[in-house]
Amino acid sequence: MTSSASISEIMQGATPALDDLIDRDALTEVLESFFTLFRIPVRIFDAEGMILAEARSATPRLICQYVDGFPKGRTQCEDTVSRAKSVEPPGDHDVTHPCFTGAAYKIFAVNFDARVIGKVVIGPYLPAEVAEVPKSLLIIHETLDPSRARSALNEMPRVRAETAGSLIRHLRATLDVILFSGHRALLMSQMHVASLRESYRELQEKSDEAQRNYERLKELDRLKSNFLATVSHELRTPLTSIIGYSEMLSEGIGGELSGEQAGFVKTIRDKGEQLLALITTILDMAKLEQGTMPMTAGSVAMGTLASEVAATFVPAARRKTVHLKVDADPRTPDALADRERIRQVLTNLIDNAIKFTPSGGNVTVIVRPTAPLSSDGDDDDLGLAVLAPARQDVEIRVVDTGIGIPESARERVFDAFYQVDSSSTREYGGTGLGLSIVKKIIETHHGTVVCEGNQGHSGTTFVVRLPAVHA
Amino acid sequence: MQVDFKARELTIKLVYYGPALSGKTTNLQSLHRLVAQDQRTRLMTLETRDDRTLFFDLLPMVFKSADLSLRLKVFTVPGQVIHNATRRLVLQGADGIVFIADSQIAETRANAESFINLKQNLRDLGIDVKQMPLVIQFNKRDLPDVRSDDDLAVLAAKGREPVFKAVAVRDQGVAETFVGLLSMVLHRLDVQADLSRKFNVDPQKLLQDVCDRLHLAGTEPNHARLGGAT
Repeated sequence: MTSSASISEIMQGATPALDDLIDRDALTEVLESFFTLFRIPVRIFDAEGMILAEARSATPRLICQYVDGFPKGRTQCEDTVSRAKSVEPPGDHDVTHPCFTGAAYKIFAVNFDARVIGKVVIGPYLPAEVAEVPKSLLIIHETLDPSRARSALNEMPRVRAETAGSLIRHLRATLDVILFSGHRALLMSQMHVASLRESYRELQEKSDEAQRNYERLKELDRLKSNFLATVSHELRTPLTSIIGYSEMLSEGIGGELSGEQAGFVKTIRDKGEQLLALITTILDMAKLEQGTMPMTAGSVAMGTLASEVAATFVPAARRKTVHLKVDADPRTPDALADRERIRQVLTNLIDNAIKFTPSGGNVTVIVRPTAPLSSDGDDDDLGLAVLAPARQDVEIRVVDTGIGIPESARERVFDAFYQVDSSSTREYGGTGLGLSIVKKIIETHHGTVVCEGNQGHSGTTFVVRLPAVHA
Repeated sequence: MQVDFKARELTIKLVYYGPALSGKTTNLQSLHRLVAQDQRTRLMTLETRDDRTLFFDLLPMVFKSADLSLRLKVFTVPGQVIHNATRRLVLQGADGIVFIADSQIAETRANAESFINLKQNLRDLGIDVKQMPLVIQFNKRDLPDVRSDDDLAVLAAKGREPVFKAVAVRDQGVAETFVGLLSMVLHRLDVQADLSRKFNVDPQKLLQDVCDRLHLAGTEPNHARLGGAT
């Protein structure tokens, strides 16, 4: 079996060639069994007229041998055969092709998938209605012996028209099954090879990518280790000493301090701790950027977590007479998140909100379920009917009535070290890294965080969306 | 799509996609039953011993309308996750896609994952997902614990693909889904390849002829269709 059609042609539904669907030897065996049964020769041609299989007697028919002895007989015989070759039977019908000897051929098309891919020629046989030696045979030569011609003709099987019809139907049905099975086998084997190739290609790509990632991670890991080692050693060690010694001074271990001295030492200690916090923040940032921040995803009840975090801010809020409350919808599903990282996010957002809200203002944390923004981020509503029911997000809104952030600056507040205006750093403190860390943490969770206005009021709303744990 | 103006032949490839066991093959078997009296065609299934599709099923159909031959090659993909390479091969050159979703609520996730896989495979093949004619069928409406009709109506109204309901084992909604997709495909080919002028054929008439052969009352409206824009 040769295979001329490529897998992509087959996948386009291309009609295969007859030769691709059969095994020539096996088909010849089928035709031989037909010949043994009915003694009628049969040949199968492909669409180009090439013979693919045939079954006939080893020696020519007596009538053929006899007319071959006459020059005109030979020419007419060749003519009959060449005309038979050019017959193009219509799709569903057979054609009777007569021979000058009175014999006949039946020719029909091999259809596959409503297309002609070859033809079958049955014969010669003698139609049952031929009673006498026909004139067309007698006239080839005056010396032709009618009785010899008759006996030669009678050696051929006689076939009635309806029998010929049955034979054709039988052959058609047989071929149909052979072609269907052949097509199935062809598709099967080609798909096998193509699928294997495709799987191999896919695997190779993934393995290459894994190898590249591995190399990159190894390098990053080395850099990270260096960086962390340097930072912890070079920055933290002296800082720990500074903090430790100032603590010892405050506790009077080095002798009693005057009130003013104690004040100075306290400032040294406070600023040292502030610096330590800053270093820790920068380390966090570095870890998040390198993707090496350890994250443990679990089921987080966001309402409970928000209340816990808010509780730690109650004293600070009371000091500023800011009204702080948590409003959690009990229907909110658990978020899929790292509890400690999200606690860090909430701490940061609530701390900011209280910091920027003047006395008498409100800070509200709202936790509620929400539909996802889009199916998967890039194809708007494609496949929504299937995708939407499988997804739900958890939304956390931190709303304040503070000084607000101008619309033009709302995207940039997440940039590292960005401050809306430099005076706010002096007034409110902070490193300018908090929101940047918030965004990185949320993005690592496949969530989003945006900054909006507080509708109808001054102030700001930070909206965090996190994917819910799947039911 | 293959167009042969000389032979007046139009060959269209349609692919039935969806999660494992959602009824893709059953849809094709049903279509085969519906056209069996009309045309001698065989449904070819390349399946394993446990009745799961290994490579694909193929139902070739030919509809003659006036002197035009509309040749349809309807394929299914194997639904099982491991056969992704085969799914991508079958998707090559598709002119339209039916996504068969399983209506059972427990299958929600499997439906979504299969749809995401479809989008990814189309992208990998460089096919613009948004340009591809696509309909969604929620099959197995007769089972218990399925997404409700009201739910489906809401989802169908929100999404942009036409959504059909079906019970493929009982031949319900199968022809409607098929014709729904064929209508989108013919419309797109008409816009893209100027079918009506070049073939001098009315796509609507062509569609009506296919409906007649499937013993379907009309191209629209029909009861199984829920919504979405064409």
